[in-house]
Amino acid sequence: MGSLARAYGKPLATLIALITVIWILALILVPLGAMVQQSLWWRDAKGSVSLTIDRLYNDIAVLELDQGNATDPAKKAAIEAQLAAKQAEVTELEAQEKNPPKTYGFANFTRMSSLHFYIFVRTIIYALMVTLLALVVCYPVAYVVALASGPRKAVILMVCLIVPYAINELLRVYAWLMILDYRGVINGILGWLGIVDLDNRGWIPFLENPSAVFLAMIYTYVLFMVFPMVNTLETLDRNQIEAARDLGASTVRIHRRVIIPHAKPGIAVGCIMTFMLSAGSYSVPSIMTRGQGGDWFSQLVYRQFYESNNWNMGSAYAVSLLVVCTIFILIMMRLFGVGLRDIAK
Amino acid sequence: MAPDDVEGRDMPGLGGEHGADGDPMRGKDVRLDKVSIRFGEATAVHPTDLSIHAGEFFSILGPSGCGKTTILRTISGFIHPTEGRVLIGGEDMAGKEPNERPTALIFQNLALFPLMSVAENVAFGLEARGIGKAERLKRAQELLELVALGGFGDKKPADLSGGQRQRVAIARALAVEPSVLLLDEPLSALDLKLRQHMRTELRAIQRRVGITFIYITHDQGEALAMSDRVAVMSRGRLEQVAEADMLYADPATPFVATFVGEQNVLRGRVATLAGGEAGVDTPVGRLQGRTSGTLSVGDEALVMVRPERIALAGTGENSFPARLVSRSLEGPSVNLDCAAADQQFMVTLPNGPAIRELPEELSLSFGRQDALVFPVGALANG
Repeated sequence: MGSLARAYGKPLATLIALITVIWILALILVPLGAMVQQSLWWRDAKGSVSLTIDRLYNDIAVLELDQGNATDPAKKAAIEAQLAAKQAEVTELEAQEKNPPKTYGFANFTRMSSLHFYIFVRTIIYALMVTLLALVVCYPVAYVVALASGPRKAVILMVCLIVPYAINELLRVYAWLMILDYRGVINGILGWLGIVDLDNRGWIPFLENPSAVFLAMIYTYVLFMVFPMVNTLETLDRNQIEAARDLGASTVRIHRRVIIPHAKPGIAVGCIMTFMLSAGSYSVPSIMTRGQGGDWFSQLVYRQFYESNNWNMGSAYAVSLLVVCTIFILIMMRLFGVGLRDIAK
Repeated sequence: MAPDDVEGRDMPGLGGEHGADGDPMRGKDVRLDKVSIRFGEATAVHPTDLSIHAGEFFSILGPSGCGKTTILRTISGFIHPTEGRVLIGGEDMAGKEPNERPTALIFQNLALFPLMSVAENVAFGLEARGIGKAERLKRAQELLELVALGGFGDKKPADLSGGQRQRVAIARALAVEPSVLLLDEPLSALDLKLRQHMRTELRAIQRRVGITFIYITHDQGEALAMSDRVAVMSRGRLEQVAEADMLYADPATPFVATFVGEQNVLRGRVATLAGGEAGVDTPVGRLQGRTSGTLSVGDEALVMVRPERIALAGTGENSFPARLVSRSLEGPSVNLDCAAADQQFMVTLPNGPAIRELPEELSLSFGRQDALVFPVGALANG
């Protein structure tokens, strides 16, 4: 702060500090804090209060009808008493529904059903597989792009990487859906060749296999793997490759001993990005599987929020995913021996 | 190996003399046979014949862009000649990749592997040849001792000074036991003092290992100080190949004359020609000098005299009056900036008491053996 004030003057330094504080609050602390806080409490629902209230309202409506039809004053009085009692009960229950007692604890985390936990673990494994596959696919691409130069490089970058990404992510996923669908491009070609019989539903069900999701995901997130690697590979002195070759190293050895060690920070960043995006991806699995290939964990989180209306549980699920992703980052950094500073480069 | 059919010009003994004691390293001769290199439309190297002797310290000297690095990379195998052949030790290198050639290249920026230790760097070539870890580290240690870096094996290249990194690069290249070491201006990144020290060092290492060194530089001081022979290149052509002394004393072309050392250049027209000498009419009068051939009377010509060959006294032949414009002290010598007939003259004299009291009007003169007469041609400084 002191050096900032010296460099920019007091008013500007204050402004910069203020913006930083707002940034940290708005982008990190507040949303994260809200999520964690939400995940740490729940309301005890004694029976199903809402259902009881609904029933009471039904009863009240019937009683009101009876009351209108009743001619006997004694009976009418009895109905009125019943009505009053029911009204009182509704009022009490509604108060309870509006403001049920909160209970704090870790129950949201421990309450996860075994099926949900299985999906959670499977999602992590799938995301790891996507990351690994993306790495295998992207390393050669990044290498070629990074070592190409001049107009050739611009062409490769534009045609192969930038143009596909000018299209909306959803549309890209839908494109793969069209390719892999029962009557999609591939099955269509196979049918035309007479290999599959489309008329009798003899198509190959690509979309029911998790690899369809993998494919779409790798396609969707390729850029996040390629660019960090290109960035680090670009800084590699090409003379080092030539020197290694001159000293007799094979291509494999050059990559293993010279290029990959240099690209490590980029590989780590690419893996972290791809893993986090695929572990948290909602649209790709939900579009690609259409409920036929098994849920990913992100879909469960979505359901907790918007179908079960249980935000506390949803938050707990989301926080679990966040924790695993954070652990993954730390493992990657450890594994690749890169510090935060290398990644920032 | 094909029999060496180059006329008996190689120098037997040089390799054996210095690379003795059963050292497996032996220099090989390198021959370019009508090599030309084109990149698309651009010609980097015009058809060139060059013969470099086994065990020789050979420099290729030229301004940047003259094609010297292209020649080096052609010898090392990173570039394939458009036409012609490269022969190393009599063997045709056509189709051989850099790692299949008995050469090792030292890059201008050294290209040490920054993430490996110094010892790993030096051992890398042996690692690539599948030599076991203990064996290759032992060999690396020996090589590091050869370049006086015995205790630095565990350091990273970044922890070393410029000169030390230089020597690591040499050790790394020597590890693969090349017959020819190719050096691409490796000293250019060092400061002046270190550069001068490394010249001696490089020369000493070359003598110790006895292999052929081919050294690329744009610095004439480096080339003259270290080399057995020097080739001067300009615009993709070899201008002259000669021993360092000869290059300075007997330049073959106007380019070499002006690129190596300083020259006073006068334009004129040839008036007389006799017995290898020419008289040229210049703005300061008729000047006599040596010439080697192709001129005839009436041609335009260039007369060149080195600044240290001009004397202040004397009359008669090759003498003319001049005005002293300024002088600058170099220490052991003094440079006088003189003018005669709108022509600038640089005169270098040994420093001494007489220099301090020079009159403004001088008489400059030089012997006819000290002046060279060339046909008009390209000069090094435009």
